[in-house]
Amino acid sequence: MKENKKNVPESSKLKNELPFVVPANYFDDFYARLHTRLETEELVLPKKRNKVIRLLKPAFGLAASFALIIMLVYWPVKTYLPKYLAKTKNIETGISNEDETYLSMINNLDENSFFALLTEVSEPELLQEVGLNEDEFLSYLSSSISDYEIFIQSEN
Amino acid sequence: MQNDDQEIIAQLKQESTREVAFHRLVSMYQEPLYWHVRKILLSHEDSDDVLQNTFIKVWKSIHKFREESSLYTWLYRIATNEAITCLNNNKRRSMLPLNEVSDILMHNLNSDPYLEGDKIQLKLQEAIVQLPEKQRIVFNLRYFDEMKYDDMAAILDTSVGALKASYHHAVKKVEEYMKNTD
Repeated sequence: MKENKKNVPESSKLKNELPFVVPANYFDDFYARLHTRLETEELVLPKKRNKVIRLLKPAFGLAASFALIIMLVYWPVKTYLPKYLAKTKNIETGISNEDETYLSMINNLDENSFFALLTEVSEPELLQEVGLNEDEFLSYLSSSISDYEIFIQSEN
Repeated sequence: MQNDDQEIIAQLKQESTREVAFHRLVSMYQEPLYWHVRKILLSHEDSDDVLQNTFIKVWKSIHKFREESSLYTWLYRIATNEAITCLNNNKRRSMLPLNEVSDILMHNLNSDPYLEGDKIQLKLQEAIVQLPEKQRIVFNLRYFDEMKYDDMAAILDTSVGALKASYHHAVKKVEEYMKNTD
């Protein structure tokens, strides 16, 4: 103290007391307040998670985000544009049973059996099967040919 | 004191006696640490926050305390670091156009409601505020707390020679300020 006073000029006028005060009962209540804060902090502190969960957390987060985005797009489309959704569904699943049978038949055919099928039925037999005679067949063909095509044929 | 400290540390490290020992530690050190921090920050509110942070840090990290220094030194070191961090945070967050830590301290000195003192005491505080950080802390510890240089060296992790030089410079600057200002 003496040494300090020697070092500081005008120290005869100075008291090495501080000009500060504290609120009433500050030190008496301090521990209680500190204890409350400690309890709060320990409650707020997250418990240590399993390492696997910590590693997978970002992946789960990403998956959840994608799911949310899909839901956000699907739900308004389903609600406000149900016709569009139905149409899309029909396009996706528009293959009928008949087509499926036909496709499976084609898939099972090899090249030889395909040509055999083509030559199997002769033209008159085919006409008989269909129920047309030759004239009717020709008139059908001519009706399917445009005037321009008839003109070209007659020119040749 | 040394034996008391060792006993408190041992009790703090045991789960069954931890809370009782912590209460004892806070009772023993709350006042000296508060005044140490208050001299650095000048504001009661900030000092209260820093004092709480200091004890919370002690509570959380007592298991890491290797007893290479005394409990007293360890506590003062934590409190000093917390106070300096608080000052720097205040400087960063300040909405006022205050560029220097000394501006913030002067603002604290003028606005703190828990300030009572005569004119000359306040003038001395103003003089201390003008000092660089390290000189300010050394001056406070030496002049007000009459702390030994060896203890100061342990707390501030500086040599005794450097501390003596800092105190000497601080005294000169305070002297000059006291002479030149009304």
